[in-house]
Amino acid sequence: MYQDLSNLKKFYMLFTLVLFAILIVRTGQLQLYQWDKYFRESEKNRIRDIILEPLRGLIFDRDGEVLVDNRPNYSVSVVPYEFLKADSAIILLSEILNLDPDDLKKKINKNKRGNFSPVKINRQIDFRVLSAIEERRLDLPGVFYNTESKRYYPGGVKASHLFGYLGEITSGELKKFKDTNYRIGDSIGKTGIELQDEEYLRGTPGVKYIEVDVLGREVRNLTGLGGVSPNPGRNLFLTIHTEIQKYLEEVMADRKGAAVVLDPRNGEVLALMSKPDYDPEIFSNPLTPETWNLLVNHENKPLYNRASQSLFPPGSTYKLVLGAAGLETGDITLEENILCTGAHRLGNRLFHCWKKTGHGEVNFLAAVEQSCNVYFWEKSRDIGLKKWSEFSRNFQFGKLTKIDLPNESPGLVPTKEYFDRKYGEKKWTRGLVLNLVVGQGDLLTTPLQMAQFAMILANEGVLCRPHLVRKIEDPLTGEVVFTKVDSIQIQGTSKKTYRTIKQGMNLVVNGVKGTAKSARIRGVTVCGKTGTAQNPHGNSHAWFIGFAPMDKPEIALCIMVENGGSGGAVAAPIAGGVLSIYFNDQKFAKIP
Amino acid sequence: MLSEHKSIRHLDFKLLATVVVLMLFGLVAIYSATFVDSESDLLNFKKQIIWGILGLLVLAGTIFIPIRVLNKYAYTVYGISVFLLFAVLMIGTGAGTDRWFALGPIRIQPSELAKVGTLLVLAKYLSKENRDLNNFRELAIAFSLVFLPLLLVMKQPDLGSALVFLALILPMLHWAGLSSMVLFVLIAPLISLVCAFNYYTFLIAMLIISAVLFLSQRGLTFFLVNFVLNIGVGVVTPIMWNLMKEYQQKRILTFLGLVTDPHGLGYQVIQSKVSIGSGGFWGKGFLQGTQTQLRFLPEQHTDFIFCVIGEEFGFLGIFAIFALFFYLIFKGLTIASEVKSKFSSILVFGGVIIFLFQIVVNIGMTIGIMPVTGLPLPFLSYGGSALISNLVIVGLLLNASRKRFEYF
Repeated sequence: MYQDLSNLKKFYMLFTLVLFAILIVRTGQLQLYQWDKYFRESEKNRIRDIILEPLRGLIFDRDGEVLVDNRPNYSVSVVPYEFLKADSAIILLSEILNLDPDDLKKKINKNKRGNFSPVKINRQIDFRVLSAIEERRLDLPGVFYNTESKRYYPGGVKASHLFGYLGEITSGELKKFKDTNYRIGDSIGKTGIELQDEEYLRGTPGVKYIEVDVLGREVRNLTGLGGVSPNPGRNLFLTIHTEIQKYLEEVMADRKGAAVVLDPRNGEVLALMSKPDYDPEIFSNPLTPETWNLLVNHENKPLYNRASQSLFPPGSTYKLVLGAAGLETGDITLEENILCTGAHRLGNRLFHCWKKTGHGEVNFLAAVEQSCNVYFWEKSRDIGLKKWSEFSRNFQFGKLTKIDLPNESPGLVPTKEYFDRKYGEKKWTRGLVLNLVVGQGDLLTTPLQMAQFAMILANEGVLCRPHLVRKIEDPLTGEVVFTKVDSIQIQGTSKKTYRTIKQGMNLVVNGVKGTAKSARIRGVTVCGKTGTAQNPHGNSHAWFIGFAPMDKPEIALCIMVENGGSGGAVAAPIAGGVLSIYFNDQKFAKIP
Repeated sequence: MLSEHKSIRHLDFKLLATVVVLMLFGLVAIYSATFVDSESDLLNFKKQIIWGILGLLVLAGTIFIPIRVLNKYAYTVYGISVFLLFAVLMIGTGAGTDRWFALGPIRIQPSELAKVGTLLVLAKYLSKENRDLNNFRELAIAFSLVFLPLLLVMKQPDLGSALVFLALILPMLHWAGLSSMVLFVLIAPLISLVCAFNYYTFLIAMLIISAVLFLSQRGLTFFLVNFVLNIGVGVVTPIMWNLMKEYQQKRILTFLGLVTDPHGLGYQVIQSKVSIGSGGFWGKGFLQGTQTQLRFLPEQHTDFIFCVIGEEFGFLGIFAIFALFFYLIFKGLTIASEVKSKFSSILVFGGVIIFLFQIVVNIGMTIGIMPVTGLPLPFLSYGGSALISNLVIVGLLLNASRKRFEYF
């Protein structure tokens, strides 16, 4: 032995004895001295943990008007131990809730966390179900209902694609949020802002411990057990200009299409509309499979957000990209005129300008004003596909705008490599390029990207990331977090080029031969560009992109009417409507 | 003579039997805790049987490893376990608790291996010839050997297991020959810190500390330095505490288990006390515990297994458990004090401390006198990794007892 350890051993034996004695005395106290009390407690152990749902955050418009609010709603829960004892109760409840008894049993067994923790089995029950349960209370042991909240939309703005909707959490989502406090039966944002900002809107649930009687009714609140109050979700203040949003929803009511209106100074989204839409309130009530199937399978795809998810050829609005490229490379000068005879020849194929009789001699500005195809086709020979692709990428096409909405599509900017992959090297002709430069063919953009492009032109190269949430407020502390405005400088295009393009866009709206005269408004110089994009699925898509005022732009927009016809005749007037609302409101309200 | 010591006859069968009886007790309790009806699959019960058999095989292997070899590879085992602790943090899911490696259906907790690794490495470090534990540098190294795995386990976060490492260091130093005075100097600031929140407790603590320091007769400088240090801790602690934001305070209190968090730990303790208390002297009988059978406790087959025994087998059952545990500790301490090799002695003692700490903290938690930290009860709680590591430690005890007359 390296040292005498018998004393140390004695010390630690004593130490162990003392600790064990404490444990045994305490156990004896519980089991022998207080046995009566705990035995009785265990016989009538009816302590329940009740989850207190947090109030979901509200959504406001830019002026602080409520757009999305909460309204009380009821859900049914059961305590498995008491409920599953009696088959009659299972059958009765499944009748009331219109469920299969076996499914009901399975659902409870699958989701229970112990026999005495309530399992939520049905959300959004209506008053009829509620009163049926209340009437048969005695036959339904362990069944009770909770008050929750559901969404409603007091502002009169549907904006279903913007707000999105809530739905019951799926098992996949539960797994994904495993370590957070979601439970089966909870609501969770499924699309739109409800999904994007779920973490802010939701809040944190609380818990309270109650003692219940034989029928599962609360006898008293056991505050001593350390319940926790729920924390409401945070309120979102959007950048939405309600009047413009409403106008767009009304004017497009019977059409398909999308519109995005931005404030080019900071990227705030003043309106974002997609049609056809749906009434978001249908998700606040029990959703029947029929309604759901109708929404999912409808040929017009009302669940799709056409502004940021759907892809379209942008038509002639896209000629401005080639224009910018040409002005930068020097292939386009203001002095040079090109003769449009109404068609452009490539090999033995004729490509027709939209004006069959031709535009005659046109320079760059006139070509933009009248949207002459032949001019741009001619110029694309000098500029080439490579430059065009490069400028397209610079103007952020084929990339996500990183707007704060889920499931955005990046679109597609074809390149030489893309065509080589698709058709094989040297197996494709310049005809494809001719299509691209007038915004047709394989080129695909979202209306959001086109609005962003209008913003870049308006700002002469400055891009502010489009965003919908202006600030997030904690209703408890009043703490407010503002969204940071991110801006970048677009590379490769000079101020001079932007100014020239703006001149052309001015003529589109205000020139004698301009294609978008209906976008003019009194007292403000509007710049724009129309597009009429042919597509294989029916009528052409009508496009308009633009901004105003020309010198100090405050608003940039994109209007797209799917299969609407000509951009100048269909899209431009809607843009005019938006602009007149915006400017009359802000500046010209006083002018009689 | 030597060959005789290596024979099987020198195996301490009583100690082995004690552990096996504890394991059987555990199996009965796990069966009861997870039994639903005759159709239930009893998956946890079956898994635990397999882990138990596996663990006994590992134990058998551990008994016959020469002490020399254990000593030689102590740093290797330690290194591997620290590496695995790093790895589990790195490849973890990142969402919450990263405690396991999943190998198919099996989940392995590297913190359990780290317990054994740390035990070996400390025993080796402390038993080295001419080790002067009163030398600050050597003492600091001993501490860092423990704190490295401790911090990694805490990061997982697994407070319960981390505390096991913390509990190990001071008793092992003490056993290895650290003078009681140095031990006292190390513990005193902790006492001051805890007592600093109340004038009277602090006053009493300071009186006792000063008295011990004074009676040690180590000179004025020694007295003053330590006195000022402890006063300083006592003064600074409340100031620091008040400077902290409320959520920081709450986080610390929750971490220490001193306030109930939203997951309802308070509820668990109430139910746990009702389970044990309602068992009475005789218990309600196997599968007859209403609390157990109605699943009031989500963790009843793991951390709260003691409640199942308390409810169904009563004070009698619990007393039997205490007797078995006490015999285990008693035998362990006897082996540790008799064995000739210093390495073995410290090793065995450390194993005893690991058992003692887990037993006291786990049972204390279920009867409501200790915070809920989530530490399993050795040999009884469901859980493969913990069972294996505990059986390895028993193997080390048996190994040392076989060769208690050998110096190496």
